[in-house]
Amino acid sequence: MIAATIEIGGVGGALASEVKARSGASPMSCLQCLKCSSGCPVASRADLKPHELVRMVQMDQREVVLASRFIWECTSCQTCITRCPQQVNIAAMNDALRVMSRAAGKVAPETTVPVFNDVFLSIVRNRGRVYELGLMASYKLRTGRLLEDADKAPMMFSKGKLPLLGPRVRGRDQRREMFRRAAEGGNK
Amino acid sequence: MSYLFFPGCSLDGTAKDFHRSTLAVAAKLGLELPELKDWICCGSTAAHGTDPLLADALPAKSLSAAGGNTVAVACSACYSRLKTANHHIAGDAALRARVAQVVGVDYDGGTPVLHLLEILCRDIGRARIAQTITRPLAGLRVACYYGCLLARPPEITNFDDAENPTLMDQLMETAGATAIGWPHKTECCGASFSITEASIVLELTNEILSMAKAAGADCIATACPLCQLNLDMRQRDVERRFGRRYNLPVFYFTQLLGLAMGCSSSELSLASLVVEPQGLLESKGIGR
Repeated sequence: MIAATIEIGGVGGALASEVKARSGASPMSCLQCLKCSSGCPVASRADLKPHELVRMVQMDQREVVLASRFIWECTSCQTCITRCPQQVNIAAMNDALRVMSRAAGKVAPETTVPVFNDVFLSIVRNRGRVYELGLMASYKLRTGRLLEDADKAPMMFSKGKLPLLGPRVRGRDQRREMFRRAAEGGNK
Repeated sequence: MSYLFFPGCSLDGTAKDFHRSTLAVAAKLGLELPELKDWICCGSTAAHGTDPLLADALPAKSLSAAGGNTVAVACSACYSRLKTANHHIAGDAALRARVAQVVGVDYDGGTPVLHLLEILCRDIGRARIAQTITRPLAGLRVACYYGCLLARPPEITNFDDAENPTLMDQLMETAGATAIGWPHKTECCGASFSITEASIVLELTNEILSMAKAAGADCIATACPLCQLNLDMRQRDVERRFGRRYNLPVFYFTQLLGLAMGCSSSELSLASLVVEPQGLLESKGIGR
């Protein structure tokens, strides 16, 4: 929970509207029943629990929401939306908030998820499929986490789980065009 | 019976044992799984957490090439992404048009997508599978672990009961094993946080392993490459972190089913498992 008291300047402002437009989720429908936070696998470590995040969105707390660690720690397990009596799709909300957080330069400093996502998607763009060894190597180089899990690669090699050569699907130029058009919103 | 197979990226790498055991089981059943030509990555969490339109476009690219045939999926994360894209595109004409602009093909979201568990339990059926069981897994107590994405959210996957799925339990019972009752069938393992924030995975997998052990399981059966990797490859890390000893082999359900069908260890890539299963299998008279 955020320690500082939040001053309520109005309910249902621009943030709730933008989240709804981007994700289709309806944060204003939340009744604060807490079913989401009761079932959320990362609620116990979160700076904002799911029901608190939704309330912050209702209260137009853009800074707090976009800078929260929770939007990056959400595992997209879909438990919240499955159990929500009001069908507030928090998992989809978090996807929209991640995009908004990056665009606003507010990404929580502790998370490396955006780096992982970028490396992952650039491999998919170039190869068509994930090259796991390349993914892990690039991620480690980009984040400087070279020694973390140093025991895992030899184990995976010995178990035949880490092919040295990556896959490659034809149509790279077409895929690059796809990625470019998606980034432009599919209007071109 | 034939389906176009979408293996997904993991099945050609970290989950090649899932791939091999799937094909071994399919061969025993006369189930044909020709690969969907030039399939591409479903986009996984990286796509839906970065660009929601791309997250629908990547599956649309692969599914639009299926020519109306039903697509079979083994990885539950791919399954979730393909079905979610179908749900989005079929239910939203404006989105369908935007996806068509991105992909270059107008895809209607109508290619049927089924998980192997659905195909085995519903299309082939337990009676037919029972005919192929030559080495029943008698006395083996299996905790069937479905993870997040097969059963949730139910309006998209339409897979089974969202809180207490039983398709894998039914298969394990058909294979002669005992599918134990336990409450963590659909708890989250932490998925790709294995790379970005391993402490999440260690905490969550500890809960799952601990509950499986408390419920009296000899082993765990999974249907997802990330679940399997997190529970198996990180089990020693979990034991060290929390001072516990689990020693629970974590199979793909296809490996256990294949064992019951008389497939060899090498056909099922049992040597790829990190927590050694041979001792357990021999103690139940199943190993060789």
